[in-house]
Amino acid sequence: MNFLTLFARAVASMRYNKTRSFLTTLGIIIGVTTIIAIVALLKGLDRTIDQEFSSLGTKTIYVQKMELQLGLHRHRDFDEISKRADLTVEDAAAISKLPTVRAAVPNIHRDLGTLKRGIYEADECTLTGIGEGGDLTGNWVVSGGRFITRYDQRHRNTVCVIGSYVADNLFAPGEEPLNQKLDVDGHRYVVVGVLEEKGASFGHPQDNQIFIPVETYVKYYSLPEGRASVFRGIRIEVLPDEGVTVETAKANVEELLRRRRGLRYYEDNDFGLNTQESMLSSLNTIRSVLWLVMVGVAGISLLVGGIGIMNIMLVSVAERTREIGIRKAVGASEFDVLAQFLSEAVALSSVGGVVGIVLGLAAAAFVSAVTPLQAAAPWWTVVLGVGFSATVGIIFGIYPARKASGLNPIEAIRYE
Amino acid sequence: MAERQEAPAARAALERLIELAGVSKVYDSGHVAVRALADIDLQIESGEYVAIMGPSGSGKSTLMHILGCLDYPTSGSYFLRGKEVSQYGGKRLAAVRCREVGFVFQQFNLLPRLTAARNVELPLLYAGASAERRREVVADTLAKVGLSDRGHHRPNELSGGEVQRVAIARALANDPAIILADEPTGNLDSKSGDELMQLLDGLYEMGRTLVLVTHDDNVARHAKRVITLRDGRLV
Repeated sequence: MNFLTLFARAVASMRYNKTRSFLTTLGIIIGVTTIIAIVALLKGLDRTIDQEFSSLGTKTIYVQKMELQLGLHRHRDFDEISKRADLTVEDAAAISKLPTVRAAVPNIHRDLGTLKRGIYEADECTLTGIGEGGDLTGNWVVSGGRFITRYDQRHRNTVCVIGSYVADNLFAPGEEPLNQKLDVDGHRYVVVGVLEEKGASFGHPQDNQIFIPVETYVKYYSLPEGRASVFRGIRIEVLPDEGVTVETAKANVEELLRRRRGLRYYEDNDFGLNTQESMLSSLNTIRSVLWLVMVGVAGISLLVGGIGIMNIMLVSVAERTREIGIRKAVGASEFDVLAQFLSEAVALSSVGGVVGIVLGLAAAAFVSAVTPLQAAAPWWTVVLGVGFSATVGIIFGIYPARKASGLNPIEAIRYE
Repeated sequence: MAERQEAPAARAALERLIELAGVSKVYDSGHVAVRALADIDLQIESGEYVAIMGPSGSGKSTLMHILGCLDYPTSGSYFLRGKEVSQYGGKRLAAVRCREVGFVFQQFNLLPRLTAARNVELPLLYAGASAERRREVVADTLAKVGLSDRGHHRPNELSGGEVQRVAIARALANDPAIILADEPTGNLDSKSGDELMQLLDGLYEMGRTLVLVTHDDNVARHAKRVITLRDGRLV
């Protein structure tokens, strides 16, 4: 009997007992759905993270009060971090004087909520105080006009550079925002630059920002005094000079800040120098944990599914003892019977696998449709799903199949 | 697979088909050893129509199981077409059952899940016949037992007589050397039984070798030779 016939007969046998076959395959369906969906989600997560990071400046060092190591902080650390001194605009100025640094840009922001200009509205805008070079460190491209300059900073000019979302929503189609006046929070600014669209980063929209000189920001809003909280205070974005490695610049900035903050040699840094690399490495830790969890979940559900198949195959062998006897009497060899029951187990598990793949892909498509996560199962997950389920069928089918093939035909045929 | 030969005239000139030499069968259940067959010598020529008779417990079934290669003799030799099949391993013995033996049981023993045609197809499947050939032979053999139009019915949709005829079609599928029928009319009403015996007689006329196991004289009467067993011995 060739493979195709064998499989066709196995499927026919499955159809004979539809409810039971369905319930039996449920374990495999769930297992494979889980694998496909989780792989798709993790892949989507990877892809989204990669996109997010490419929208950040690749060489930019983010000087912050805390080290960014996603998910790995203990509560005690937050206590300690919140007591740290805030970074200041003067720190930024000092860093920018380092020979290995091209730009050190202070950055502080606040949420504005909905911004109105005449009949126009823009939701969830952010006001960001920033220094010269913020376009370089933040990977912004100015599409019209100019960015904030040192001159703006020194004179606390009331000028602003607006993101594309702000430009699109607060100005009429075809209206030129440049040199127009814009009232924000009771202060009037002149739009001197418009930025190209950048898209969202880590789920946060970015094109909703209004950049003003950081000194202007400090004048209007004043920085929080002294030791505030983990998240308040400014952040300094440092871009190494041409031909200087991120590591070198980082070491120089570290040395400078330790001196400015009066740290002794035995004391740890009370600030964070976060780079794309350091954030990626902590993300990778999370990624590998997620993958491990996936392997565990998938493994357990496939194991449970496999046991379900073995159980039902044993029941089936017992029920069909007489059938096995008859088949042997009309010429089935032990191998034929083994192949029959093994192929039924494999058919059960592979059909479960195929259904699981379809459901998993559907789940991924659903997630992609309703969330920003671009979940997509790579082609190998399909192979993996089929391979896994078939393997489970073989492993858990072999024992019942051997039991069936070893039956004595004379006794089996008399079995009631 | 042997080519199907239909010519009744070509009845082989008394080819020695079956030879049992000193065959014994002992069932050893640990404490008690039951001697089911004792030192049986038996020859059956090709084209013979033999009935094996005897009261229950006389060893008829055991003899049939051995003739049908479902069981091994404890001692002695069984030659089928000159080959000592009592020396064969499980795999070769299965092949012999598949190609050389056609079983007809009292309990019919069709697979209830399968249609008549699928039941007839089984031995062909195990013989490795192509799909085309299987279709052809199934149609052929079903026609031979007069059930051409019943192929797509399941056994529970057929009458007892029809079921047994499907079983005969299945037995014939691989054109076996010998048809073994164990009380073939035992579960049939007398009319169906008569029809079935006519069908078996017809097979004999066409040159088939038939061995009936029965305790019914009316059935045994159809055979040309009657072998009687008592307490595991030929009488």
